[in-house]
Amino acid sequence: MNILSKSIAVCMLLLISSLSLHAGGFQLNEHGARAMAQGGAWAARAYDGSAIFFNPAGLGFQKIRSLYLGTTIIMPAASFYGPTNLGQNAKNEMVSQVFTPINLYATVPVMENLVVGIGINNPYGLGTEWPEDWTGRYITQKIDLMSFFFTPTAAYKVSDNLSIGVGLNYATGNVTLSRMVSPGDAQVKLDLSGTGMGFTGGVIFKPTEALSVGVSYRSSVKIDAEGTAEFTPSSALFPAGDAAATLELPATAFVGVAYKVMDNLEVEADYQFVGWSSYKELKIDFKKNNTSSVSPKNYEDTYILRLGGEYTMEAMQIRFGYLFDRNPVADHYTEPLLPDSDRNGFNIGVGYKINETMSVDASYLFLKFAERKVTGTEVEFDGVYQSNANLFGINFGYTF
Amino acid sequence: MNSAKNLLTLMVLISLSAMIGCTDEAPSDLPAPGLGGVTINKYMAVGNSLAAGYQSSGLYKSAQLYSYPKLISDQLKLAGAKLGTFEQPYWPDPGNPDPKTGKAARYVIISLADPNNPVIGPKGESVTAAAPENALTLPRPYDNLGLPGAPLAGFMDTLGTYQGGFGPAIIRAAGGLPKSQFLSVKALQPQLVTFWLGNNDVLGYATSGGTSPSAPTPLATFSFLFNQAIDTLKKSVPNVKIMVGTIPNVTTIPFFTTIGPKVAASLAVVGASMYYQKAGETGVGSGSTKFNNPAGDPMICLTGSAYAGYIGAGAGMPNVQGGKFYRDVAASAGAPVSAVIPAGVDTTKPFGLHPQNPWPNALVLDSSEIAKATKAVSDFNASIKSIAAAHGAVVVDFNAMFTDIAANGITISGVKYTSAYITGGLFSLDGVHPSSRGAGVIANEVIRVMNSSFKTNVTGVDISKLPALPIPLGKYMAGDNMIPNVAPQSWGHFLGLWQN
Repeated sequence: MNILSKSIAVCMLLLISSLSLHAGGFQLNEHGARAMAQGGAWAARAYDGSAIFFNPAGLGFQKIRSLYLGTTIIMPAASFYGPTNLGQNAKNEMVSQVFTPINLYATVPVMENLVVGIGINNPYGLGTEWPEDWTGRYITQKIDLMSFFFTPTAAYKVSDNLSIGVGLNYATGNVTLSRMVSPGDAQVKLDLSGTGMGFTGGVIFKPTEALSVGVSYRSSVKIDAEGTAEFTPSSALFPAGDAAATLELPATAFVGVAYKVMDNLEVEADYQFVGWSSYKELKIDFKKNNTSSVSPKNYEDTYILRLGGEYTMEAMQIRFGYLFDRNPVADHYTEPLLPDSDRNGFNIGVGYKINETMSVDASYLFLKFAERKVTGTEVEFDGVYQSNANLFGINFGYTF
Repeated sequence: MNSAKNLLTLMVLISLSAMIGCTDEAPSDLPAPGLGGVTINKYMAVGNSLAAGYQSSGLYKSAQLYSYPKLISDQLKLAGAKLGTFEQPYWPDPGNPDPKTGKAARYVIISLADPNNPVIGPKGESVTAAAPENALTLPRPYDNLGLPGAPLAGFMDTLGTYQGGFGPAIIRAAGGLPKSQFLSVKALQPQLVTFWLGNNDVLGYATSGGTSPSAPTPLATFSFLFNQAIDTLKKSVPNVKIMVGTIPNVTTIPFFTTIGPKVAASLAVVGASMYYQKAGETGVGSGSTKFNNPAGDPMICLTGSAYAGYIGAGAGMPNVQGGKFYRDVAASAGAPVSAVIPAGVDTTKPFGLHPQNPWPNALVLDSSEIAKATKAVSDFNASIKSIAAAHGAVVVDFNAMFTDIAANGITISGVKYTSAYITGGLFSLDGVHPSSRGAGVIANEVIRVMNSSFKTNVTGVDISKLPALPIPLGKYMAGDNMIPNVAPQSWGHFLGLWQN
């Protein structure tokens, strides 16, 4: 118990400190170190509390009460060379930041075949910061987007080889951004917050002892955010006042197939769909002077391919994975606000069972963004983006 | 447990090597500045106020530092050109004096007490220098030979007749230096010359409302002078690369497009027509408009901004409100008011709303004058293009560029710039001359044409790094009703630039 209380104390500390920080990368799929170490290919198995994110049906096969909590330390880096449409080739480096989205899941079997749970995590978040006086300061200086999803979930085991699960998503979202505006040199700072609702659902079917198939879906969540716009220096041209924007967090779906190759080796392949086409524009209404700022984004629906596996040796599990994340942004709309590109991710990790009730999972993901050269951009800011990210995940599990 | 430790160690090692392995290298296909084998050891700019870096009706160092020739020279150096110091006649801030007041001529935003009517003009700043800072010490011609006010005839002129008011300070013939722009270029034998003259052969006609001079330079004269200039330059400076600029259509600049729509909006409220003097008229005005015929509407000069507020004034108040324009003219000329009020004009009639107290000719470009100015521009440009082609000079089509900007604006690094007065960001407070960022746009067009014509790889100017218009944002407002009130006395010197 001593170790347990210590572990929980550490986790709570991590959790509390995380709440004051931000989530990174507009969409985050790292919501449990065990899944993360396997390239996020988890929807057909979802053995732990992170089933609430990957596939709520996974809870149906979990027979005991559990707590699973952790965080992911995300360290992105990006450089922009340009703007090449002005013949520039200067290197501009994004300001280093560390993001620590959290995840926390609690599950309880309430009766024969029925398991309920709740999850708290940050499925969408973004943060980029460029030097205040950099050449792209009229496009962006800093943006932080953070969302918390609270997901009460229930799963029902229909039979020994079939489980279904559903959940509600109550989401809070907050976005802050700052950039310069023309003419002259004034800085606008926006701070908007709001809440939204959505749902999630999934099925896991095991046609044979070794084969498992999972499908899950999480709806989009529309957040009507309101807040304030501040201009420095404030002016009649740009009056401070109320501002509002609608953020539509896209729907996502998983289809996964897992196979037990040997008694101690499981592998899984997932296809994840992300409905980014909901993100058409970022429209900010300034209520004071009844105007709007509209930035077209026109994101496209996209997908992520996930491959992973887990090898068990007594109390230890070794995990590995790979993912390919197709970026949703056409060249024309690529901008330093979120310099996305296709990503290849390489994952490794370990799990260790401390005793009958406690376990710890650690994972590492290196995300290599394909070098992206864009021309003819909407904002007339062409150039080459180079990005990568290092992600470290850690989770503690406790069953009782 | 042993294997667990080994695995953990392995994980950490892989992680570290991944992080180390991703120190990024610069992309291979970035623009690499270079001259592509072209030798440029000397670049000189032949031009007028646009080249000089004249902004907001004044010549002052903090604007000259961003003249388009200076910006081009900076980019040439980045590409490897051994230009040395690109010499310009820097006039220490606040710049040159207005000859009438002795105070700095440049405009600033003077008052924002009424945000709908920002007052713009000279602020009475004390001049700190009587001449450019190195006018007496630089023993050679300047590389930037931009002569504010100079027409095309200024290129060969050795007598100072067409060199504008700044000729003596910039050409410095009295100091024993070559007596003209041409002789200066000949003396220094540059490999590259930008030649953008001719704007003043139509601009003065237009900005004076078609009154002074009363016509643009005749086409035959213009073509003769342009041919003579390029031909002589070519013969006297062997192997020089010449880039000539076309003349932008003067009617798209904020000097002409700002006040009319504001007056039109005011008139629309009361359903009144504006009466104005047409081309050549000095007394009763035969023009009247409700500004509802875009093709035939007159354009009101920015010089009329100070009088827009007096439209309708005059009834029962002789010479006080309705005669404001004539009182200013009289004060400027040192004459009694009665001597300057033309026959047929009755200043007790509502100003601008009655044919007998019409909006003055000098403050308006009527449809025939617009047509005349526009024709002059297109004729001049046709002449420029054919003469350039005949002499192997490269054409930079500023007219096409500014026409496109007037119609569509131009987006650069997330900012949309337009031809609008103040808010557009490209023009300085006089509504004619580019701001520093406007100069950057001009420089980039020159560089673009240079690269495509000479196969150089000169990088462009990073526009958003140039100073923005110095607008005191604290109180400035750009509402639909904004009629900037540009102090009338300030235009005397500005217009004088065109009158040699």
